[in-house]
Amino acid sequence: MAIELEKVVQKFYDNLEEGKITGKKCTKCGAVEFPPVYACNSCGCWDMEWVEISGKAKMHSIVMPAALSMKPEYKAMGKFAYGEIELEEGSRLNGVVRGINKKKRNELQDKLPVDVKAAIYQRDGFKTVVFDLVEE
Amino acid sequence: MNQTKLHPYKRGVSIIGVGCTPFMYTVDREETNGLTEGEMFGYAALKAMEDAGVNPQNVDFYFHGEASPLNGSNYLTPNVHVTNWFGMKGKASIHHSEACCTGYYAIEEAVNAVASGKYDCVLSGCVEFGDSLAVGNHPYKREKMTMEKFLQTTAWLYERPYTRSLMAGQELIYDDAAEWYKRTRGLTDQEMDDTLNWMCINNRRNASKNPLAIERRPYEDIAKEAGFDNVMDYMRSPYNPRMGDFLRAGGLELKCDGAAAVVVCATELVDKYMGNKSHKPIEVLGVGAACCEATTPHFEVRATEEAVRQVYELTGLSGEDIDIFYANDFIITSHLVAAEIAGYLPYGEGWKYICAGRTAYDGDKPINTNGGRTSFGHAHAASGLADLYECVRQMRGEAGEGQVKKIPKTAMLRGYGGAQNICTYIIRTAD
Repeated sequence: MAIELEKVVQKFYDNLEEGKITGKKCTKCGAVEFPPVYACNSCGCWDMEWVEISGKAKMHSIVMPAALSMKPEYKAMGKFAYGEIELEEGSRLNGVVRGINKKKRNELQDKLPVDVKAAIYQRDGFKTVVFDLVEE
Repeated sequence: MNQTKLHPYKRGVSIIGVGCTPFMYTVDREETNGLTEGEMFGYAALKAMEDAGVNPQNVDFYFHGEASPLNGSNYLTPNVHVTNWFGMKGKASIHHSEACCTGYYAIEEAVNAVASGKYDCVLSGCVEFGDSLAVGNHPYKREKMTMEKFLQTTAWLYERPYTRSLMAGQELIYDDAAEWYKRTRGLTDQEMDDTLNWMCINNRRNASKNPLAIERRPYEDIAKEAGFDNVMDYMRSPYNPRMGDFLRAGGLELKCDGAAAVVVCATELVDKYMGNKSHKPIEVLGVGAACCEATTPHFEVRATEEAVRQVYELTGLSGEDIDIFYANDFIITSHLVAAEIAGYLPYGEGWKYICAGRTAYDGDKPINTNGGRTSFGHAHAASGLADLYECVRQMRGEAGEGQVKKIPKTAMLRGYGGAQNICTYIIRTAD
């Protein structure tokens, strides 16, 4: 496949506006890049196709926001934490997970990884992806 | 994660001279207020050349590092603007920035330039005004850097399309490594907190013996003045407030101004360049490097693992061969995490070494003997070469009051910064 000068970033955000969370899947090894980029970081192939992400994921670590790691606009998300997220499709990334405060973190620490679910979240001027804790 | 195999240098390269300014808040003192980039870089460069025994005209090329020249100096090509200050007018140079890792890549660049055979003798220097900003077009005036301005520019460290949007990568820099260490090594909250505090105490103890450090008052003295008999009670108190999930105020960098430089030459030409200098050259055995953009989980850990793997594979050495260790610890957790990944401290036991004071300058496993970023200071680009300056002085036995007990022969230095570059290298005193 020819390498194309493609507006991947804009399409990712356009897809979010349409309610779809998307990544790029490698046609050679099947690895999924999320967020989407040109080439596969698992095998180096640049023949990638758009795929919709299921949203199912695991949270492997929990870090609470604090003075240094908090911004005023984040308050609109309610209680949340940062952490390592593993998508069902295999990609791992740092993400925000809503529904976790310090008490909940203490409950979850010995149960990691815990189930989370991707959600589309409106920021100032664009939509992005956060995750929600899946309560048992 | 992708891996890289390193190959041996085409010829050996040795460190023959080092120079460093005091790390300071230049605008706060009459005698330093008004210092410029050329004066700071030039001082460090000339000190390094004097130390090496070389004349500036015998240096073939220089590298220039500054983390944020547009923000701090109103410069786009800062290497050009210092070039007349230290006798190398007309010689070629290049500027590079890897933010807080700049001073470590400064060695990588210089060594590659000589190892390739293109140049025989190269200077590599870095300068940063981390605490002040150039005032418009005034020839020398600077103003204090506000926290608002600092935070505005550090936000530029993070990738715009995804990382800033997803919100987590840029915020995890403060606490991710501590969370990872505590969880994977099974520490309690109190053990982790005490470990972070002991790193601050040890760093300060080291800095108290270093005349170039920006903050030299031992925490024990500060605690007593605040009414605490036990230094750890002070460190756990609101005097040292939590700023992160784990990180306290004492574990953050002291951003400041400074410059440092190094001269390297082909090992086979050491006698030619060093003339009658009596100190032994120190050979650069290898440089490992990796980058993990901030969306990558545990970016510091993963990139450090890869960089360390590369340099050990190349050299055939292991953590047991390292006599002294430096880590860019603008977030204090870095020096524990890096030292343990490098095998300098045993897996899962490093925190105990730190809490027992064994990593201070007078311990058996010294780390950051200059005081690290939390006490020596952090002049962002220059810090890496300041670490090398201190390391070389230790390896020569020239570190004065802060000299480690046993003269180190082999050292590892691990740089980190710029969301996130990692650069790790091993140096060894020539036989």
